[in-house]
Amino acid sequence: MHFRYQSGQQLSDITLERAGDGYQAVIDGQTYAVEVIDQQPGILSLRISGRPMTFYWAQDGSRKWISQGGCTYWLDPPAQRGSHPAGEVDGSTAVCSPMPAQVRAVQVASGDLVERGQVLMLLEAMKMEIQIKAPTAGTVKKLLAEAGQTVDRDQTLIEIGE
Amino acid sequence: MFTKVLIANRGEIAVRIIRACRELGITSVAVYSDADRRALHVRLADEAVHIGPALAGESYLAGQKLIEAALAANAQAIHPGYGFLSENADFARDVQKAGLVFIGPSPDAMEAMGDKGQARSRMLAAGVPVVPGYQGLDDDSALERAAVQVGFPLLIKAVAGGGGKGMRVVRQPEELLEAAAAARREALHAFSDGRLIIERYIPHARHIEFQVLADQHGHIVHCFERECSLQRRHQKIVEETPSPYLTDALRAQMGMAAVAAARTVGYTNAGTVEFIVDPRTGDFYFLEMNTRLQVEHPVTEMTVGLDLVQWQLRIAAGETLSFNQADLTQRGHAIECRLYAEDPANNFLPATGPLLTFAEPSGPGVRLDSGYTSGDAVTIHYDPLIAKLIVWGEDRPAAMRRMSAALRETVLLGVTHNGQFLQDVLADSQFAAGDFYTTWVEERFGGWLPPNCGLPPEVLIAAALSQPLAVPVNSSEPDPYSPWRAANRYRLGQ
Repeated sequence: MHFRYQSGQQLSDITLERAGDGYQAVIDGQTYAVEVIDQQPGILSLRISGRPMTFYWAQDGSRKWISQGGCTYWLDPPAQRGSHPAGEVDGSTAVCSPMPAQVRAVQVASGDLVERGQVLMLLEAMKMEIQIKAPTAGTVKKLLAEAGQTVDRDQTLIEIGE
Repeated sequence: MFTKVLIANRGEIAVRIIRACRELGITSVAVYSDADRRALHVRLADEAVHIGPALAGESYLAGQKLIEAALAANAQAIHPGYGFLSENADFARDVQKAGLVFIGPSPDAMEAMGDKGQARSRMLAAGVPVVPGYQGLDDDSALERAAVQVGFPLLIKAVAGGGGKGMRVVRQPEELLEAAAAARREALHAFSDGRLIIERYIPHARHIEFQVLADQHGHIVHCFERECSLQRRHQKIVEETPSPYLTDALRAQMGMAAVAAARTVGYTNAGTVEFIVDPRTGDFYFLEMNTRLQVEHPVTEMTVGLDLVQWQLRIAAGETLSFNQADLTQRGHAIECRLYAEDPANNFLPATGPLLTFAEPSGPGVRLDSGYTSGDAVTIHYDPLIAKLIVWGEDRPAAMRRMSAALRETVLLGVTHNGQFLQDVLADSQFAAGDFYTTWVEERFGGWLPPNCGLPPEVLIAAALSQPLAVPVNSSEPDPYSPWRAANRYRLGQ
């Protein structure tokens, strides 16, 4: 059986076959011998190439969360969109709000030249300050939100042109 | 002692206060908004009152509703926790006018310390060292004259401010007026008070605060310090005690100054005096006083052996402190890490989501103060603090090892959190050396990314063997032992 997962921008493939009392996994040309030691709801204990390991896991819709040795990972089915893509229309880049928030300050004006990574706006959500940064260098074409305004997730705040 | 107390707060601090009430035989009354109907603090309290929609302004900040709820429940007192209305003198007065006890200092003491300009003046008069600076008329020409006296670089701060809002560092005289205008706007918006003060800016300063406890019979003590220099944009992330920087002599001096500061305003109950320490000179300066319980109070509790929340209730009920300054000592070392729902790899964007799995660490010297359990959810309505992880060790290296182990043992699935970031901070050599200051985290960990950027093979294997989610390339599967057949039978996951 082939499985494909996406984590962030990276795609990973794994082939899993039964092998005796356990399984054999192949990832990137490497083979691993796998045995299931124990299985409880949300907790999986495996022996991988002789090494025992315990994994906590949980499913949230199509996303799978896994924790092992103090590290947390999440896996999605392949071809999942990135969470906050900047859309492109007519050569402008739309910079959107990542979550429902209030605009605290607008740091640029229409016509300003901005660098990639420059802070364009400050939002506040969950009592935390969120910096909205320019994804590319360019000129501020349109300011679509002002200080004091409440914005939604994915709402366009600024358009940046050439 | 009170028989019933209403807790005007939510999350982990509400849970904390409910526990203290329970242990003192006090009936606890929780309040909750629509978003917190099934929250942990509601489940733990003896009684619970619904007070409004999720928006804080219509629930946890609605003073009148809180007072009415307390009266209707026949509570004798209200504990405000931290944040929300805990430092709101008008609310404290309204509580008292309604015939209830406000668990905290008097409204007058709160106001004396709430106004930074006033607080500075009173500290100066009391002989408590204050950051060299200026408070008074804050029109542009007054600020310009003051700036010459104070010297550059300097800090413009909002009189009514906190949390870094209305604050600007000014390095050159030319930048002063623009920075003042920006600070004024921010302060007006955040605190409805645009007044400003100026302070000398101390680079690489350390933020060291002292816990004070004062009863209503004139006894005031300090419970030693907390080192709070590990911050990111004015948000504390790791706190510890004792401070790796302080000497016994400096500790004694600062402790006395903290008590003097509290005494000057007639302070009662629990409070914290914040100091800025200039590591170049060892000079310390009064910064401000927080007239409430602090988030990081557990590290003091673990080393001094006091239950600060219980003492808040006892002091408010009129009891006398059963110890004096000479009786208090610290033993061992305690560290607290704040687990936040945020994405450190994405500019620390706050996160929301369900807590699908929350496996809490435990063991000797490990304490977790949490407002959530498995099955709860972090929503957009309130701050992103999930839990505080606190450890105690016999000395600082032991506490560090215990904290690293406890962080690794913590399992939090369903919402993005800063657990791995905290592990990296703890493992840093400069942290180990105790060598840091308030902007160190931002400087050292700007652009931080988690160590394993890809998926390790074992994680891929576990993913495939738990519940398959990706569409298999070969869809026909005759194998009766195939994991996806077994999955349904074992009902893994949901």
